Amino acid sequence: MAAASTAGGSGGGGGGAGGFGAGDMEVEAYRRLFPLPFYERYLQNYVRPDARPLHRARDTSVALGPIASAHGSSSVKIGDTTMLAAVKLEVMTPSAEAPDEGSLAIEFHMPPICSPTVRPGRPADVAPVISKQLSDVITSSGMIDLKELSLISGKAAWTAYLDIYCLNSDGSLFDAALLSAIAAFSHLQIPLVSLNDDGRVIAVSGEQLENNSTIELVNKEKRKLSFQSIPFSLTCVLHNKYILADPTAEEESIMETFITVVLDSMGRLVSFYKPGGSVLVHSSTIKDCISLTKQRMEELQNILEDSTSAMEE
Amino acid sequence: MVGLSAGEKHFIYGGIAQDLRTDGRQRLHYRPISVEIGVIPQANGSSRVRLGATDVIVSIKAELGRPSSLHPDKGKVAIFIDCSPTAAPMFEGRGGEELSSELSLALQRCLLGGRSGAGAGIDLSSLVIVEGKVCWDLYIDGLVVSSDGNLLDALAAAIKVALCNTGIPKTTVNLGASPNDQPDVDVSDEEFLQFDTSGVPVIVTLTKVGRHYIVDATSEEESQMSSAVSISVNRHGQICGLTKRGGAGLDPSVILDMISVAKHVGEQLMSSLDSEIAAAEASAEDQ
Amino acid sequence: MATNPSTYSPSQSSERKQLQQQRRRLFQETDWTRFDGRGFQQCRPAFLKTGAASAASGSAFAAFGATKVIVSVFGPRESKKAMLYSSTGRLNCNVSYTAFSTSIRGQSSDHKEYSSMLHKALEGAIILETFPKTTVDVFALVVESGGGDLPVIITCASLALADAGIMMYDLVSSVSVSCFGRNIVIDPTSEEEACQDGNLMITCMPARNEVTQVTLTGEWSTAKINEAMELCLDACSKLAEIMRSCLKEAASAPS
Repeated sequence: MAAASTAGGSGGGGGGAGGFGAGDMEVEAYRRLFPLPFYERYLQNYVRPDARPLHRARDTSVALGPIASAHGSSSVKIGDTTMLAAVKLEVMTPSAEAPDEGSLAIEFHMPPICSPTVRPGRPADVAPVISKQLSDVITSSGMIDLKELSLISGKAAWTAYLDIYCLNSDGSLFDAALLSAIAAFSHLQIPLVSLNDDGRVIAVSGEQLENNSTIELVNKEKRKLSFQSIPFSLTCVLHNKYILADPTAEEESIMETFITVVLDSMGRLVSFYKPGGSVLVHSSTIKDCISLTKQRMEELQNILEDSTSAMEE
Repeated sequence: MVGLSAGEKHFIYGGIAQDLRTDGRQRLHYRPISVEIGVIPQANGSSRVRLGATDVIVSIKAELGRPSSLHPDKGKVAIFIDCSPTAAPMFEGRGGEELSSELSLALQRCLLGGRSGAGAGIDLSSLVIVEGKVCWDLYIDGLVVSSDGNLLDALAAAIKVALCNTGIPKTTVNLGASPNDQPDVDVSDEEFLQFDTSGVPVIVTLTKVGRHYIVDATSEEESQMSSAVSISVNRHGQICGLTKRGGAGLDPSVILDMISVAKHVGEQLMSSLDSEIAAAEASAEDQ
Repeated sequence: MATNPSTYSPSQSSERKQLQQQRRRLFQETDWTRFDGRGFQQCRPAFLKTGAASAASGSAFAAFGATKVIVSVFGPRESKKAMLYSSTGRLNCNVSYTAFSTSIRGQSSDHKEYSSMLHKALEGAIILETFPKTTVDVFALVVESGGGDLPVIITCASLALADAGIMMYDLVSSVSVSCFGRNIVIDPTSEEEACQDGNLMITCMPARNEVTQVTLTGEWSTAKINEAMELCLDACSKLAEIMRSCLKEAASAPS
């Protein structure tokens, strides 16, 4: 893939290379040898090789609860990009600075199965970057009130371990990861716990509760997290004047400038990320990206609602 | 790797087919085995076993430890095998790592039995001093000094010999005042308890070359193998472990056939080891 | 990552221990029912599907009860630069677990032992001569571990290899049995594996009636090995039928 994109870069620079041999070359070979001219031909007609208009995101689906052993889990598919997220809760002693708050630990993994470029023993470079972005977005958006994770002030609180695995990587990894994180947290069911004689927190099953009414529950009310506002993101790839929403891995490798916008459900800007790239952006483009994200947010909210109601049925 | 010419390969194949191997042995004959005990004075038990040009050393150390919470009534045993670069040039650097871990794993499987501890060659419950609190941790370290094939059998034999040679110090326990305290353990440095080694199995590796299988293959013969099955047999004729190496598949009936052959050969190996151990102990006492 | 002070799972460990001891006693008796209601000689329902991951040359997903595994196959592709010339192809296997695969959250990690066992189970079945100088990578991810992990990984990997169009002599299927006292129990769950007296795993190519890998732990008599092997081989050939029909379905489905 890397070799193909450099070939495309020089071909595009030549300008005339786009016309070279196009007539007597197979489409697939042309696509691999001159990816940029190949794409430009499509872009002129405001369409992409997978038949999407430029601003449309791929089909997205969310399923809740694929991992039975986790407290909350979800799997998300955006096109061919697949994410699996699971939340597990453990008990910890809260720090002295914030005695009535729990904590979050978010990790994004790219196992070797997800992409030909990841090999065992050599973790992907982008995995820690996305990890950091995810925890920044989730903490700064204020989606989860850490006080809701408290059990006994100063004594015990939940740590929520969120692990997201990329099962198949085909572009827009951050968007898919964030969506799976939100879905997993919305599916999260906090277990009932009580204190044992040693002062340790132990889990209580429904059966025990029926047999023994003397068990004192610590968290009878707090079984679900209430979200203040939910962050949604959209990544766009930029090429000349074109904005391509929700790029595939191929599009990401050919056109190197991308913008990720994160808005919360109240329409406020949570995060804006443009790591360099060859295209310099006008403020009008940024506005366009933000309005695209707003549209996408409505789609995603509907998809999330559908998945929750499908779960309840 | 062993580099062999076409003629040499043919010679090995032909010899095995006619039940007369290049060193004059028959298919099911072991090379002469020589045993030394107490080669490492600072260890609780040690041995050196030579099978032809294959030479291995095993040392056993016992240290006080804490039983795992899952098995409070059992001690712990850890087996590590190291392939020294002196044994073969391919063991240099990290080259021997894969083989080392493979050998360690195979030995653990054969000696430590199932997950519940049933069928273990080493009686782990005899290693407990205070249930749930203190036990002996046995560290079994093997070193391959020189390698000429059949490392697994040699190592298993060396471990068996070293365990016979192992003395576990006698202990006296002062229980603490409250049951939650860690008890004091006095370790005697004069009195030792002998270890019960009757259940420790031997491993017989049957190497398939051409259409026949042989025991105790040299590295030349191993380079021509299609597959090899290692079977560990204890004194009661029970099978305590089985692993297979090499890519080629085997017919299930061949495996069953190999098991019965291994039982027979294992008996002979066990008795010859017993007499070697007795001789080694006698010569050690003479000194 | 935010390093937290030590955390622990709220499910009670002492209770679990008691339960396990209880079970161990139970398993010693000759007659008991399995927790999922299966008979001793009944495997878990198997779900197999190919083509789960589009980024790979071939992939498969397998769910046997609570055990869920994804395997992706990449290649044949260029071998690592440091590798010497080889006239036959190379096979490279890796098995890893997710952090949430077991009931107590661990660190996601590579499983060296299973990686090498997977390699040994597959190398005999793949026609390495068909891709000289190159490497085929077989990567497995255990999403959830519910017992009998290695046999499921091997079975799933062979299906993924078939999906990738790698030439093989035959499909490889694998089944394990646990032994409790006098009983032999097929396709154990992780609760059963934790208390077993012994385990036998067989990996075979059913159409050729060849065993590519066999491992055994615990103490067995020859008669019992006979019985267990027969049980495994029979289950392996049935499993291979399911694998075959899965591949046929994938091939006949309009893409």
